[in-house]
Amino acid sequence: MFIEIIDVIISGLINGSVYALMAVGLTLIYGVSKAFNFAYGSFYSMGGYIAFLLFGISFFNNYLIVFCLAAPVLLIFGFFIEKLLVAPLRKRDDWEVKVMMITLGLALFLDNSYQVVFGARMKSLPSILEGSFEMGEFILSYQDVVIFIFSLGGILIFRWFLNNTRTGMSVRAVAQNPAGAQIVGIPKEFVFAATFAISTVMVGMGGILLAQKYFITPAGGWDILVKAWVITAFGGMGSIKGGLYAAFIVGMLEAFVGWYFGMTWTLIALFAVLLTTLAVRPQGLMGKWG
Amino acid sequence: MLKLTNVTKKFGELTAVNSLSFTVSKGQVFGIAGPNGAGKSTLYNLISGLYPFEGAISFNGKEIAGLSPHQIAKLGISRTFQIPQIFPSLSVEKSIGVGNHFGSREGFEQDYVDKVLEFVNLHDKRHAMVGQLNLLDKKMIMIGAALATKPEVLMLDEPMAGSNAKEIIQLMELIQRINRDLGVTIIIIEHFMKVLTELTEKLLIIETGTEICCGDPVEVTGDPRVIECYLGDGT
Repeated sequence: MFIEIIDVIISGLINGSVYALMAVGLTLIYGVSKAFNFAYGSFYSMGGYIAFLLFGISFFNNYLIVFCLAAPVLLIFGFFIEKLLVAPLRKRDDWEVKVMMITLGLALFLDNSYQVVFGARMKSLPSILEGSFEMGEFILSYQDVVIFIFSLGGILIFRWFLNNTRTGMSVRAVAQNPAGAQIVGIPKEFVFAATFAISTVMVGMGGILLAQKYFITPAGGWDILVKAWVITAFGGMGSIKGGLYAAFIVGMLEAFVGWYFGMTWTLIALFAVLLTTLAVRPQGLMGKWG
Repeated sequence: MLKLTNVTKKFGELTAVNSLSFTVSKGQVFGIAGPNGAGKSTLYNLISGLYPFEGAISFNGKEIAGLSPHQIAKLGISRTFQIPQIFPSLSVEKSIGVGNHFGSREGFEQDYVDKVLEFVNLHDKRHAMVGQLNLLDKKMIMIGAALATKPEVLMLDEPMAGSNAKEIIQLMELIQRINRDLGVTIIIIEHFMKVLTELTEKLLIIETGTEICCGDPVEVTGDPRVIECYLGDGT
């Protein structure tokens, strides 16, 4: 029993760390541009499929190379998608609704494209590190340890980027006050595109990390989109700190509910958290009213 | 330096700015006044690139229509807002530093940020979070962030609003020092006529987006059309 609980806690921490990496990206977009990105889950799948393609080429058959190649591809893709599809809508009335609709259309287009190109069958990636650490009945796979370290590393790099780089400073300024930011010389439109691109990289990297455990499917990103939004709403819309706390709470909740009641109950538990949050504290853990 | 020619802005049926033309010379303190809803802040929004408009605005001979707000800031036109537009979760130093990082054509200079902090009297609060400060400090931060862009023209939108008599004197002294010591041209929207007559060299009065009169502040404030515009015609 004790070993089982330790296993569940570790599983919750590992899932929470990957969710944090992905939810922070979504929180970032919402916090900066107030846009609701329905294609976020499809960008998660894209990360997995890019890795799958690269692993098919023997020269790139290494996770370090895959990360180094996938990150710029996702960054450029995210940047141009924002510039081509989202940015032109900002000048129109009710642009938030239009952005939701166009990103929903993009998600359907991408998911169907994955199905056409890669087929409907699940794809898998090799384990990032084989083997496990064993101590009596307790077993911890090295793969899980690496996923945890990579996710935390990603979050720390993101935090460093926000606090110590010029672009990071502009992102924080636009998130806090778009009008004030642009009149002191910050190119708001570039910042919107940059945050969209950075969030695409974050969720895509999460897709590569989790594809080792949960496979890649054309519509597999919807589950991630739902979880990322539950975490974002639970943590407080636009609050990165709240998103981080919420990700670990959701990861842990999912692990315990899955262990105690079975995996089919995890989504129900997540929605129960979302509904309770909206009813009791609509601004989320760290969000603000209004 | 800054020249507006037949500038017009319509929002649907409403004409917010109606064929306004005036010139602000280098080093001048230029005042703009008018009743609420006269189009004063809209005029600032047009000059700073927030809205498109009809007519022409040129700065140092360069047409600025179609430029985005950050490009106009880089050209040397900075502004403040009536309600302080600040970055609540940044420190005072970083909030002012943002202006220098992105708005200055010479790039980031820590020495200049330090100088601005001294200038707006916030050097002791440089590490404080902006959101925790009082209204006067927030106004000073907004002016500091605008100054950090090294502007040639600074447009102040009702800087005295919500201030007490002592704070008004502090702000007036600051505006005079910005103009005199830093050589920055000032355009100021204000309701306090005393402030306008003491600070400005030229005063423009507008009502419903249209010029009522423009000239020497003392003469303008005594003009019957201006008195009527503020107090009505007595009928």
